[in-house]
Amino acid sequence: MPAFFTVDPRTGVPLYLQLIEQVKRAVALGTLEPGEQLPTVKALAVDLTVNPNTVARAYRELERDEVIETSPGRGSFVRRNGTVALESRRNVEDVAATALAEAVREARSMGLDPDRVRALFERALARWFPTEGSL
Amino acid sequence: MNHPTAIALRDLTKQYGSFTALDHLTLEIEEGSICGLLGPNGAGKTTAMRCLLGHIRPTSGSVSLAGKPLEPATFESLAYVPEKSALYEAMTIADHLTVYRQCYRNYDPVRVAELLAMFKLDPRKKVKKLSKGQRTAVMLILALSYRPRILILDEASSGLDPVFQRTVLDLIIDAAANGATILFSSHQVGQVERAADRVAILKAGRLVLDGNVDTLKGSAKVVEAIFDGSVPELNGLASDARITRIERSGRMLRAYVNADSDGVARHVQALGPRNVAVLDLNLEDIFFNAVGADRAPVIGEQ
Repeated sequence: MPAFFTVDPRTGVPLYLQLIEQVKRAVALGTLEPGEQLPTVKALAVDLTVNPNTVARAYRELERDEVIETSPGRGSFVRRNGTVALESRRNVEDVAATALAEAVREARSMGLDPDRVRALFERALARWFPTEGSL
Repeated sequence: MNHPTAIALRDLTKQYGSFTALDHLTLEIEEGSICGLLGPNGAGKTTAMRCLLGHIRPTSGSVSLAGKPLEPATFESLAYVPEKSALYEAMTIADHLTVYRQCYRNYDPVRVAELLAMFKLDPRKKVKKLSKGQRTAVMLILALSYRPRILILDEASSGLDPVFQRTVLDLIIDAAANGATILFSSHQVGQVERAADRVAILKAGRLVLDGNVDTLKGSAKVVEAIFDGSVPELNGLASDARITRIERSGRMLRAYVNADSDGVARHVQALGPRNVAVLDLNLEDIFFNAVGADRAPVIGEQ
């Protein structure tokens, strides 16, 4: 059982979305490899102490997003179909976009205006991309 | 996603003299679902459950389980864990299990042995020697001993330590993962938030909120705006169907929204605030919003 899934039911973020994000992140980071089997809905629900229908909903959406595929009777697997590079690139962007959106929302909720947020973003960019950060 | 209805309460009313314990309650729960029943004390949670079980007769309305009205055969696949111990003090755990083995065709000795081992219970012990937690464990084991299709738990884990509470949730989830439908009441919103896919909130015998937990969290938001001066007149906001409640204090406006939070945020933005934010609500926030802001009497009681 992969130990890298954790959810926090007490936040306002729906649990199935938390799970989707975790799986995408694991695929993007390579902790879940193409072709690797995911835990069954039942096993993951019991393991995380969350509702089985919630896990099933996350898996359905992950399948729709073509991150995983499910074959009846065999289980769910990380997709392996030649577009892995593209998929994984998109997943990396999804994960990053979610984190960025969260940070921007946080900044806004603390009363910062768009110019301040932009300045903070530029500063972060300059820190992590020292040579190309200044636009 | 279209599962058949496992538990149905239809237009259920229960009067005790002039007191209305249940007021036209309608609730349908799909097969395989875990529904958490929340509400302040006296909201009608236990009354609703006891109507479902046939313990009390509703004044009007009807109940059905697995598509049928209550009939003797229903009890083969229905289990109930009440809040207070319903065990015989002078009997041993094994005595209780013997009764269940004789009563239920689906009695599963292997499952019972697993559960006894899990709770580290010695079946030779008499009930009167058991702690409160152990009594609850025995009631759970009895309820799960015949693998019921429908499981109803009334505050099953109240007064128990957090580890035990988690174990109860694990058992509920395991049962649901095996196809059972579960209705459980709790004072702990966090338990419902974790284990339930569905939540029903009662207040004074009425259903005040009902829905999928994740869907509710996805749509229930607070639009919070801070103004440089005082909050301006709220053109049309007070009668906006998307908004359930508006709070104004000083330079701050908070609108509780149950749909289209981005649209409401744009509307509020047009009022010219210094800042607008859309904030998530957890189930506890949603619960208090549904039953009113009167917090103290609800939380922390057993």
